[in-house]
Amino acid sequence: MADFIIAHLYPELMNLYGDRGNIICLQKRLEWYGHDCYIEAIPRGSKIQFNQYDLIFMGGGADREQKLVVNELIHQSSELKLEIEQGLPALFICGAYQLLGKYYESSDGMQIPGLNVFDFYTRKEKNRLIGNIVIAASLRGQPFTVAGFENHSGRTYFENEELRALGKVISGFGNNGQDGQEGLWYKNLIATYMHGPLLPKNPILADFLIETMMNRKGLIFKGGLDDHIENYSHEQTKKRILG
Amino acid sequence: MKKIALIIAIMAGKFASCLSRILGTGGTSIPGKIALRLYPHILSDLAANISEEIFIVTGTNGKTTTTNMLAEILKEKGYKFVHNSAGANMITGITTAFIKETDWTGKRKIDYALLETDEANVPLLLQQLHPRVVLITNFFSDQLDRYGELNNTINLIKDAVRDTDIELVLNADDPLVTHFKNETGLHCWYYGFEATNYDKLQGEASREGRYCVFCGQELLYQRFHYAQLGKFCCSECGNQNPESNFTAHSLILTPKIEMKINDIEIRSPYQGFYNAYNILAAVSLAKLVGIEDEIIQKAIANYEPRAGRMEQFEIDKRKVTLILVKNPTGLNQALATINTVPTPKAIFFALNDNVADGRDISWIWDADIEQITALDSNIEAIVCSGLRSGDIALRFKYADAQVDRIYIEDELQSGINKALSVAADATYILSTYTALFVCRDILLKLQQESITSADLIDQKQKSSESQG
Repeated sequence: MADFIIAHLYPELMNLYGDRGNIICLQKRLEWYGHDCYIEAIPRGSKIQFNQYDLIFMGGGADREQKLVVNELIHQSSELKLEIEQGLPALFICGAYQLLGKYYESSDGMQIPGLNVFDFYTRKEKNRLIGNIVIAASLRGQPFTVAGFENHSGRTYFENEELRALGKVISGFGNNGQDGQEGLWYKNLIATYMHGPLLPKNPILADFLIETMMNRKGLIFKGGLDDHIENYSHEQTKKRILG
Repeated sequence: MKKIALIIAIMAGKFASCLSRILGTGGTSIPGKIALRLYPHILSDLAANISEEIFIVTGTNGKTTTTNMLAEILKEKGYKFVHNSAGANMITGITTAFIKETDWTGKRKIDYALLETDEANVPLLLQQLHPRVVLITNFFSDQLDRYGELNNTINLIKDAVRDTDIELVLNADDPLVTHFKNETGLHCWYYGFEATNYDKLQGEASREGRYCVFCGQELLYQRFHYAQLGKFCCSECGNQNPESNFTAHSLILTPKIEMKINDIEIRSPYQGFYNAYNILAAVSLAKLVGIEDEIIQKAIANYEPRAGRMEQFEIDKRKVTLILVKNPTGLNQALATINTVPTPKAIFFALNDNVADGRDISWIWDADIEQITALDSNIEAIVCSGLRSGDIALRFKYADAQVDRIYIEDELQSGINKALSVAADATYILSTYTALFVCRDILLKLQQESITSADLIDQKQKSSESQG
């Protein structure tokens, strides 16, 4: 059996914009750290045992797909919430991020219920928030930047002041284009509008997830990969945005 | 007054074209932009000079090659036509093409217009002119950042053609295209492939159009030509490939494309399955125009690959191929073609993220780069270049390419030099759109220099022989 198992939720539905780059990144880095990692694609109609996995991942999808996913997961949302509460590492991108909230309101005012794991809601607006984005985040008191690309019509608003964003927008739109917050970071769950290959050029985030995966198995994370291409790409993206 | 405004706009457009030619800049959209600003009706006025028909070619991949091939056929037949070449496929580029073909009074009669049109520009264009035919090649994820998701793009086009008398020419093998018939009620012609020796039974993981557009059921495939193109049916509602009017069979891809379309034998210097589709689309349109088989055959046989469409160069006795890449499906097809060459090779990849490239470069992660980094694929160097050299370098790294063979050279010239400096028999220059013509100019210059220096050596040898 593989050392680590990642559950990739509904890849056939939620697979917009190169999101699988994140899965490839986690798998390869684990491999380079000396551990094999199996990616289990979770298809529609499965009963998910969340505690069997070391990390769960879900990518972005269009409205129709998002609705299908809510219908799938709504019966398991309390189990999902419990596991997240207990520190299950997770990465939710774009559409997957939105459905962790209370509801999603489409442009004609229709409310699609979410999984209600967190106290936030999302309202769709006509113009999309598109472009490169860079945010300031911090981990154990150490500041770092996260660079990526966002493309979403939904605006996400936190209703609970205790919810902590992934970071503060330096350039770009973030959760709603207004309050300067981007994403959500709760225990070992990261949810963000930065789609596609977020982890490859933000190795600090990739290693945060890997470290928590290892710690939960009683393994010690030593780090030490040669990240010069990763860092080059990160800096190049940042420069492209900030000039 | 209107007439004067038209003439001023034409003159300004022609002047801008002339100026950009002198300055050596591409200038495919600026003349149109200026003319449209001066006289917004210019396009519909000039389109009224088309005496026969207007054809629009749209879809994600293959627009340029399909339109170019059809242009070659019309040229062979001796028709006069407007054609926006070189991928300038927005309203401004199309206006530039009309200005180029008209005289200064804006009255010159022209037989046809062949308009390669960006998907998002189709609705706008249809407000200006009335084509007989809109041909749709295929739909893949491409530059999603410009229009949101693929469904939006498809709906935009569907809404624009609904309630018109336009005839559609559709790819019968793409489930994202075939449903236009049911949802628009327009008259449709179809082109498609019978089973080929290159088909696969398994689909790619990240392909589009996995679900039936009518009922949402997962489509069943008998075979895949590539991506979501293939023989499909829906077990729930019976949605399946329509019967083709133009059917390609007996396909051979290597070394060059050969096939039969209905009973016309076709030979082309092109390679790759996607180009076989482009030929099929162009021939289908030519048959609808009523052009004779012999003329079609001759034009296709003589039509050599153009800028960045597997264009060949020879530099210091080395085979160099320039390939435009812009989305996962196109890149997969390019890599599959590269993989058929067993000898050592070098790859150069220029990734830009300007608007015309698509600002979102995430698509490189949906491409199956892993197919080329397998250990036995003989890649001596991967040179990563362009504004997002780091991203493409990372993609290769995470596809398990050997890290010591990945080089980052942001600058195109030094990157190409690096790729040509490693020992390899073949070099592939892959580039996104805004770096393509710069790369091409570099390659043309290097080719010229290598011819000149070969001549010099030749002359030296000759003179030393005559002295000896």
